[in-house]
Amino acid sequence: MINSGSQRMRVFNLAAAHLRHEWVLTLCLVSALAAVLAPLLILMGLKEGTIETLRDRLVQDPVYREIRPAITRNFDEQWLRQLQGKPGVAFMTPTILPASSMIHLSSGDSDSELMDLVPTDSGDPLLLENGAAIPQNGECVLSSEAARRLGTKAGETIVARVTRSRAGRLETAEERLRVIAVLSTRAGNLARVYTPLDFVVDVESYKEGRGIARRGWNGESARPYMSFDGVVVLSETPLDPVTRTGLVVNTGLLKADSMTAVSFKSLTGLGLPDGWHAYDLNIPAGAVNFSSIKALQRKLRGRGAVVFPYAREMELELPNGQLAVMGLSISAELARKLDWPVPPWGQLSDRALDSGRLLQAVLPNDMFDQSSELQVVFTGVARLELPLKVAGASSLKTALIPAELMGMLRTGVERKVSYQPESGGLVLERAGYRGFRLYGETIDDIPALVEHLRSGGLEVVAEVDAIERIQVLDRGLSRLFWLIAVLGVVGAGAVLVASLYAAVERERKDLGVLRLIGLARTDVFLFPVFQGALIAILGVAIGWLGYWCLAQVINSAFGHELAVGQAICRLPAGYSWLALAATLALAVCSSLIAAWKATLIDPAEAIREE
Amino acid sequence: MLQQVVKTRQHATNSFQLVIPELTVRAGEFVAVVGESGCGKSTLLDLLALISKPNEVSRFRLAFTEQDQTDVASLWARNDENALASVRRRHLGYVLQTGGLLPYLSVQDNLLLPMRMNRLPGANQRVLAMAERMGVTDCLKRKPDALSGGQRQRVAILRALSHAPRLVLADEPTAAVDKRRARLIVDDFRSLARDEGLSIIMVTHDLDLVKSLADATYGFEVTQVAENQVRSICRREPA
Repeated sequence: MINSGSQRMRVFNLAAAHLRHEWVLTLCLVSALAAVLAPLLILMGLKEGTIETLRDRLVQDPVYREIRPAITRNFDEQWLRQLQGKPGVAFMTPTILPASSMIHLSSGDSDSELMDLVPTDSGDPLLLENGAAIPQNGECVLSSEAARRLGTKAGETIVARVTRSRAGRLETAEERLRVIAVLSTRAGNLARVYTPLDFVVDVESYKEGRGIARRGWNGESARPYMSFDGVVVLSETPLDPVTRTGLVVNTGLLKADSMTAVSFKSLTGLGLPDGWHAYDLNIPAGAVNFSSIKALQRKLRGRGAVVFPYAREMELELPNGQLAVMGLSISAELARKLDWPVPPWGQLSDRALDSGRLLQAVLPNDMFDQSSELQVVFTGVARLELPLKVAGASSLKTALIPAELMGMLRTGVERKVSYQPESGGLVLERAGYRGFRLYGETIDDIPALVEHLRSGGLEVVAEVDAIERIQVLDRGLSRLFWLIAVLGVVGAGAVLVASLYAAVERERKDLGVLRLIGLARTDVFLFPVFQGALIAILGVAIGWLGYWCLAQVINSAFGHELAVGQAICRLPAGYSWLALAATLALAVCSSLIAAWKATLIDPAEAIREE
Repeated sequence: MLQQVVKTRQHATNSFQLVIPELTVRAGEFVAVVGESGCGKSTLLDLLALISKPNEVSRFRLAFTEQDQTDVASLWARNDENALASVRRRHLGYVLQTGGLLPYLSVQDNLLLPMRMNRLPGANQRVLAMAERMGVTDCLKRKPDALSGGQRQRVAILRALSHAPRLVLADEPTAAVDKRRARLIVDDFRSLARDEGLSIIMVTHDLDLVKSLADATYGFEVTQVAENQVRSICRREPA
């Protein structure tokens, strides 16, 4: 028995010889197949190339590797250092409060412009990958928009002006910065100036009142600013709604509600005197600053109204328990008129803030034990321990402290405030870092880093969207490609089915002869299958050749703006095998009907046909 | 060797029945089957060529040697087509009326095909030698289309003989050529077959062509059995 493998080889050779003999028809079929394949390959190549190029751009543009917090909050240095050490992090610099980083810049003759000061450090990809060096002390890098507004360019010198208001006076410090580079527009379209982190921190410190000796900037230690939960207005005449609305206009306040005696008492611990009307002015979920109180006082001048700020539920810790406190700074005359205890520190002022006046308290009668000083603890962002001079006793249930002290303590809820025994005053500690600017090593590191930060409860901003947009585009194009591919495949399949079937019909006699000289039914079955496969292989070869030529043309015609190694139209090498496998499968499937038909041929009939 | 083989062919309402009470061919014999058209000559050949399944069969054996015997009746009973194809490939040669050469192969490849299918050694030399004897050496590189009718039939005969089969079936191999040339072809066919020691069953309507060469002659006895039914009985003619 002859082994069937060699018989199949024989059938393969016969099928090939037949195709060669009918080469015109074969060429038509191969061309039809190539004509379907080449455009599909081009389409696939365009999709792959475009997506790859887009991805490349993302990979190359550091903007897409940036992560920054979506909110401003305190980041302690250890946490930031840990973040910097995480795998996938290429660069990280802390940033400061956005409000503290605004700085006036001017270049020689131009007007000064208010711009965002952004810290940088060695290895910052935003600068390095946009054609700039890292600025050192006394140098800066400008974004293109900043350079445009200042009318300056690299190599020139600009002046940075930092302003602050201290005890009602406006103060200014200056620093000359040499512009070492201007970033390309790709790095962002906001007006920004990049300097070393040290300079940014110094600017922030100066704004908070400190002096920076090495820059020759004057100042002392920073006194905490005052903040309150709201303001109470007392008036002997009721305030109509229109007047009340007038009080919140241009004062920075948002709401003005009238209060009952009960709510007044529970808020302040003080009794509402007969004949007086109380109103609560505040900013829901916000802090009231001292300038709002001043504005309110100006508006109420001449009405005989009383204005005093409050902070809700403020408590001090004593060695032997809690002490509820209320800030109250009013004149003795007014206190008597309202039938309230007389605070020895007088009325509200933002000038008289010496520690001798501030650090006092009037205690409730039952706590008054003749000692002249109390050591108390206030817990805000950090624990604050300070001494209070006992200035007297009152019949109230809460202790009274100067409203100014209350305001500073309330600031301690948001910022770190400490007590300095040497100077005997409260000091606002440096704000610390309020954000960061982080770059991943690759765009593929970004999703994981974003996930890590979000799982740690930090909402962040990253260009994950851009990466996802490309993925969406990729999916969309893929779907489109497959739709067209299905259409093409159906057409090519139909052509193959028809042609191979017709070939079997034409070849009836020859196939009958083959059966007669000893081929089995199964061997004849393979005849169209092999022919289909051969046509597929030739079709793929020519289709791929066509694709390759056209891809070269496309890439040389449209590729001039691409970087080296990028291409508009490109297919990974594996796709040629995929195309071959898919086409072979299609051809073999298409040949099955013809093959089945071939097996039905009755040689006894076929060999006598003319 | 056949005994009591019946093949019925149904064409629309007409049925044709071929009955072969007995047919025996010995090694080296030249058997002529003579009859007018429509008497079942081709049907007989198809049965012998194992491409047509008999409806009734009591005995159908191909016995080429003592060891190599094939019970065709049982192969058909099992419908073992691969075994039948294998027997055809090795032991049978078939000369068709119109040649039956594959148009897409050269004459040489046509001649080589049966030998290659049987993986016989020395195929090329054998083809050259046989072509010389049949006088078709010039045609070897040509395609069958480029041959004259006579050349084509000579090549067809060569192909049927090329793989040294035991039995060659020839279906009016000379119908397409003139009488004189037909005579020459049949003479060559006969002498080649005798040298190879193989048997020939040749179907023809032309008794004169084979009368002097045939070792045995079979004829047909056609009877109208019913309105739509024709029966043809194939019998050996007395010598």
